Amino acid sequence: MGLVCRYDPGARLEGEVPALARTVESTIRFPYKRSLGPVLGAFMTALTEKRIIGIRSGPRVIVPPLEWDPDTAAELAHDFVDVGPAGTVTSWSWVESPTSQHPLDRPFAFALVKLDGADTALVHVVDAGSIDAMATGMRVAPRWKAQRKGHITDIDAFVPGEQPTVAGGEAAVADDAAGEPVTMMEYDAAITYNTPVTPNVMRAEQATDEGRFLGLRCPVCARTYTGGKGYCPVDAVELRPEHEVDLPQVGTVTNYTIITPVQYPGQTETEPFARVHVWLDGTDVVLGYQPLLDTPNADVRIGMRVAAMWASEAEKGDIDPRGEGNLVGWMPTGEPDVTDPELVNRIC
Amino acid sequence: MGKRPESGHDDDIAIVGWSISPMVRNTDKTEVQMLLEVITGAVTDAGITRREVDFTCAGSCDYVAGQAFSFVQNIDALGAWPPKRDSHVEMDGAWALYEAWIRLQLGDIDVALAMGSGRSSTADPALIYPMEMDPYYLAPLGADATSLAALQARALIDAGKVTEIQMAEIAARCRRDAKTNANAQVVGDFDPAALLAESYVRAPLRRHDLPPITDGACAVVIARAARARELCEHPVWITGFAHASEMHNPGMRDLTSSRSTVLAAKAAGVDERPVEVAEIQSAYTHEEPVLVEALGLARDVAVNPSGGPLAANPIMATGLVRVAEAARQIRDLGRRRTLAHSTSGPCLQQNLVCVLEGDIR
Repeated sequence: MGLVCRYDPGARLEGEVPALARTVESTIRFPYKRSLGPVLGAFMTALTEKRIIGIRSGPRVIVPPLEWDPDTAAELAHDFVDVGPAGTVTSWSWVESPTSQHPLDRPFAFALVKLDGADTALVHVVDAGSIDAMATGMRVAPRWKAQRKGHITDIDAFVPGEQPTVAGGEAAVADDAAGEPVTMMEYDAAITYNTPVTPNVMRAEQATDEGRFLGLRCPVCARTYTGGKGYCPVDAVELRPEHEVDLPQVGTVTNYTIITPVQYPGQTETEPFARVHVWLDGTDVVLGYQPLLDTPNADVRIGMRVAAMWASEAEKGDIDPRGEGNLVGWMPTGEPDVTDPELVNRIC
Repeated sequence: MGKRPESGHDDDIAIVGWSISPMVRNTDKTEVQMLLEVITGAVTDAGITRREVDFTCAGSCDYVAGQAFSFVQNIDALGAWPPKRDSHVEMDGAWALYEAWIRLQLGDIDVALAMGSGRSSTADPALIYPMEMDPYYLAPLGADATSLAALQARALIDAGKVTEIQMAEIAARCRRDAKTNANAQVVGDFDPAALLAESYVRAPLRRHDLPPITDGACAVVIARAARARELCEHPVWITGFAHASEMHNPGMRDLTSSRSTVLAAKAAGVDERPVEVAEIQSAYTHEEPVLVEALGLARDVAVNPSGGPLAANPIMATGLVRVAEAARQIRDLGRRRTLAHSTSGPCLQQNLVCVLEGDIR
């Protein structure tokens, strides 16, 4: 077949992808609570009663109901009408491998279901067991969840046939909440990202492991950046290993804050503590929000001279890997304070 | 607003430079680094420096980046010091170009740069794209873009507007044409009959009907007429530019046609003179016949000679790449009139058309 496929087009859902040097995995959740308003709220409320409603828009019945006429944008009167419960599949797609966000965990169909009495189609899922059981024009009816809360997935799925059913059978129905006005809905999705770690960041991390601060000095403007930044944002030039410089480990506190901890996952502090900004000697580099060691909060002040303290080999495992590697914090040097009223403005 | 009322006007705006990144499955570059390279490439192509750009507009997506306000970080690629006039759209870079085109028509500045960027490889598209759907009726079903596209494909097949073998032929043609595109990601000679033997991903869509996952970026520089003529011998004039949107929910519109594409094409003046090449954002094979019909393209129009999105689909830049490829057809390959198309939303919900013409005055 003369295949010269450089990368696998099917890798979007399966298969291998080229390996990167190192990636950081992070999962972001989207736990939204949404208010529904009078139209979507009425639809969701009806679902708790095992009813599906549409809204009249001129001669048409729109399902699921919208607040506005899709053609004229005029607000629609709240003239609701029961539709279905059975309907006709007008299009469908078969999902062989469901995702974690899909409502069913076995192969199913997404379908456009034109419910009896409706002029538009509802996007939902059909639990038909097999792709061979699916066809455009087939008749389907809802299988309701036994426990309904006013959510589009109160319809567990549509199934072939004319008669609505209830998952687990009618006996399983707990109708306590049925008909209670539904005003809010919850939506909770999660996406896991794998973001590559750039070579510059890896080299900066390696340096802190070795007790060094690595800077990258822009070849155009000579500004110095930390943390493995890959470019100078002022001159828009790439920063490479040849632009690396070792930075001094002594500096001056330019600003600080005393943080009163509130408890959240990962917070280990229980008493108010200081975070200071440190301007490294002879550079334009200010390191923000650094821990200050062996200093009562009342003694923290602008102009203090401080030096970096690194974890010993034995202590390394105990350091929180926040990107500062093995930096424990900053220790006052005992030198006289720097007195400069402009220091307070150097926070970056 | 859609097309210029007459030719040879001071308010005419032309494309004067562009740059397209290599299109890859999985880049080790950050989005900023990808943008840094294409912006440098585009301003170099235009014969200017970043400092001569008066306005910038970016198209990118936080859900793709996996980071809130990711576009703020992307500004690092602009060299925005002293500060620049900058804007952002959470849409394809083609819409960023549209905003830049509108902005230049105010007449107070001469040069603008539009960009689009995306690293789709960082997460599973089937989990990202439900986030762009209606949050009440569609997103809670995990309705992913490919499943919804498959509903449109089935509707087209049932209506007799396309067949699965025609879809396979479109996939084979695009990936064959992409062999001449050094930036393309999925290229090669495929036998349509053999493709049909593959299993479905979302029936009736097979793997070849889907675009690849692509990391990539694109930047385009535009200028007002006088400046454009200073900068280059053959400016590529934007003679029509429009977009239109229709209902979001695929269950509430006719999936066998694209009314919004028809409207945008009319507003951009596509039918006023023949088009030689169309670079269209048909990321799924079955979308091509819908768009060809809606754009009113004659049979002899070359569709996606670059390979199109089926050869490389850098989400948030795919449409802007179409514009750059359509411009290349004029400046580098001597065509007179081409068009670019971009789309957004499920099942071709919103469509943009940009008509380009060579300097024949």
